[in-house]
Amino acid sequence: MTDAVPLMQLKNVRKTFGTQIVALRGVDLNITRGRVHGLLGANGAGKSTLIKILSGAYAATGGSVIWKGSEVRWTSPKQANDMGVATIHQHIPLVPTLSVIENVFMGATGFWRVNAAMRKGFEGLCERVGYRLDADAIVSDLSIGARQMVAIFQALATGADLIVMDEPTASLAADEREIVYATVRKLSRGENKAILFVSHFLDEIIALTDEVTVLRDGAAVFRAETAGLDEDKIAEAIVGKEIVALEKATLERSRHVADGATDVPVLQLRNLASPGNLAPITLDLRRGEVLGVAGLLGSGRSELLHAIFGADRFASGEVLLNGKRLKTSTKASVDAGLALVPEDRFGQGLVPDFEIWRNTSLPALESVSRFGFLLDQKKEIARGEEAIRRLAIKAPDSQSIVTDLSGGNAQKVTIAKWLFSDVKVFLLDEPTAGIDIGAKTEILQLVRKLAEDGKSVIIVSSEFEELMAACDRIIVMRDGRKVAEKAAHETNEHELLLLAGGKDNSNTQMTPQGQTIGA
Amino acid sequence: MASTDHTPKASTPVGGLSAGKGKVDWRRAFGLREMGVYYALILLVVSLAFLTAYLGKANYLSVQNLTNVLYQTSLTAMMAAAMTVILVTGNFDLSVASVAALSAAVMVGTVESLGILPAFGAAMGVAILCGLLNGSIVMFLGINAFIVTLGTLTAIRGLVQLYTDGRSLQVSDLETVATLKAFEGYIFDMGVPMFVAGLAMLALAIVSFGKHLQILPRHIGLVLGGVVLAGLSWSNGLTFPLRMPVVITAVFVGIVWFILSFTTVGRRVYAVGGNPEAARLSGVNVVAYRLGAFVLCSATAGFAGILFGSRLRSMTPTALSGMELTVIASAILGGTSLFGGAGSVIKTVAGALLLFSLTNGFNILNLGANYQGLIEGIVVVAAAAIYTVGNGKAKSKTS
Repeated sequence: MTDAVPLMQLKNVRKTFGTQIVALRGVDLNITRGRVHGLLGANGAGKSTLIKILSGAYAATGGSVIWKGSEVRWTSPKQANDMGVATIHQHIPLVPTLSVIENVFMGATGFWRVNAAMRKGFEGLCERVGYRLDADAIVSDLSIGARQMVAIFQALATGADLIVMDEPTASLAADEREIVYATVRKLSRGENKAILFVSHFLDEIIALTDEVTVLRDGAAVFRAETAGLDEDKIAEAIVGKEIVALEKATLERSRHVADGATDVPVLQLRNLASPGNLAPITLDLRRGEVLGVAGLLGSGRSELLHAIFGADRFASGEVLLNGKRLKTSTKASVDAGLALVPEDRFGQGLVPDFEIWRNTSLPALESVSRFGFLLDQKKEIARGEEAIRRLAIKAPDSQSIVTDLSGGNAQKVTIAKWLFSDVKVFLLDEPTAGIDIGAKTEILQLVRKLAEDGKSVIIVSSEFEELMAACDRIIVMRDGRKVAEKAAHETNEHELLLLAGGKDNSNTQMTPQGQTIGA
Repeated sequence: MASTDHTPKASTPVGGLSAGKGKVDWRRAFGLREMGVYYALILLVVSLAFLTAYLGKANYLSVQNLTNVLYQTSLTAMMAAAMTVILVTGNFDLSVASVAALSAAVMVGTVESLGILPAFGAAMGVAILCGLLNGSIVMFLGINAFIVTLGTLTAIRGLVQLYTDGRSLQVSDLETVATLKAFEGYIFDMGVPMFVAGLAMLALAIVSFGKHLQILPRHIGLVLGGVVLAGLSWSNGLTFPLRMPVVITAVFVGIVWFILSFTTVGRRVYAVGGNPEAARLSGVNVVAYRLGAFVLCSATAGFAGILFGSRLRSMTPTALSGMELTVIASAILGGTSLFGGAGSVIKTVAGALLLFSLTNGFNILNLGANYQGLIEGIVVVAAAAIYTVGNGKAKSKTS
């Protein structure tokens, strides 16, 4: 056993994109055989970049990667894979139309689709892992958990010594998670593999890993043996101390808002539910209120917004706007004064071939038309220019095609298109994901401005510090249900993280489901 | 005709008012991607004119021949315009020729017992039902439009067989025959209207130039279109006989072009095709627009069938077979995207004219029909190649 010598060592690894964006600013990491190494960090902390460097998808800008004692420079995932690093990505890249065994031995050479050697190898894998998969089942017929196992088998089939797992349990049910945990333990203890385990779930990090590294803003800020840690300590490391200042500002503002708050409910949800995605939820949103929805990926937060907006035709329950029940149709919702800024801005928010001005006028075409149907292009373009001016969109003029814009500017266009009609409730789904800090702040300021103008806002974000900064009230979602509701000045990011990610703490802290909802 | 074409990809503002500030991207506006179909049409017409003159055949540019080409193109052009709309919404309709045939069969079969207008109504009703059927299966069952309409292409043709019992239908009542003939064969003298329209386009170009003090692509289009229209009419002594189907097609295409280019409905049609999810989340009733496009497509096919039936006053069960391919080819030649979101009815009509000018040219030059299919096929593939290659840069940006 060579436990003392790390299997892989990162020394002062840096990664910059262009001249401006620094993703990693000198990270050291030791990964040892026979141990599970937990990697944590908020969105944008640099986890994905680090994994991509480990797996050969990116080359590091600076520093060195030392594999089995010698420095390496991988230029493709294939190289890393051949030398013994296998990565299981968050979104499992399997071929759904092929069988399990064909997926597992995807990289194999040889003439036959499936040969006896593969069958034998597959049997061996099943026994090693202690989990039995039907070799000839078609992958698309499998549950998500079983697919995750196929991905793990795939990684093992390459004979890797280091297995990188990027949030392997994010979309799994509890019993499926257990299988993954058991496998991870077996691989590390039983087979002496090194495992880098990336997760947002604090409880599983505590239960599963031997040591932990926390990334924040591209640097490893915390490194410790898991034994002796608790979720609080990890959460604090992820969040950082700077947040305290922000929270103070929130407290000030919440008092301020509380003074002028109106109790008139604008939007009322009555047992709004969607089968398989959203447990019945009842909620009131006041005029001028900003409500945050905290939750991890797959917690039902986007589904909630889509159900409110009438974009989920399987949704049941009622949505009332100013006391009037809305039909389940996006057109009815837009006509009534709801606005949705979806998570996937190019996939759901913008028409890619349209210029800025054609996108900004789409939700309210009648208001830029003569007689309600004849488009007045002058008005439309003026509206596009107005959007550019009001949200400081960086574009030469409104004739720019939206696909030419950067992520942050495209996001501003998806918000801008709702600013020209009488919108009463804004539903923002991850409005700041993947955009730089400057644009982020501008968008959060815009949210506050909208609230001051008497609009109501529901904002979904995985970056809880943003919610703390922008919201008056925050609900926490997990597994499709609301597990807690807090006034923003009475909670902190740390607590939200525990509620959204930790099972134990959330169980003790949250009020039972029915009571919270009934309130 | 080339005056103000309109696709959302065009970087130049259309019918627009703010162009003063932006610089015109001339290479793009007059590149093969945007204008290729017009160049091809002009090239073909000019070469045919020279060839016929050189070989001493009948003059290709004679009014007689030109009106003939227009007449032959009209039904296809009408259906291709509706096809363009359905393609822009991101769907597909292979069943148009079968629907047209069914409509023609119903019209011919009922006109003697019901009278002319009720027979027309019955034929249109059947066609609209076909469109609702296609659209409902695609939209509510979520089956791919290509597959659904491939099925209904065969099934509706089967209905024609059933309705006609495999035999040829014929209108024999003399009075009815005369009325249908008078309707379909009615000749409008469009000489003066064409001349006036041509002058109006020239005037519009001058006024617009005066406003912008800058030459824009659409000015050139307006001048060219105006000169062609006014010139054709003038050279023929201000008369230009056009038959009913040509005039109806022109009016129909004009209306569709206007709606697509200038109204909220048109904008939503492009939005639905460009990104259905974004359109839906912007409050556009995507299902209604897509269903509407299916109904429009079938209704237009039905009307084309009525005109076809009125022309022949008889109907064989296999009539109009394969026409859907010409219709779709016209739209593709006109640069309509098969993936939705982009397309122009005017260019589609130019595409149809291109195909029929080819056929017409082969006939006039006596080249023999054997080459015809080969050449037409090559033209379609070449056009698709130009659009794909010319679009290469934009493609890589979006995907």
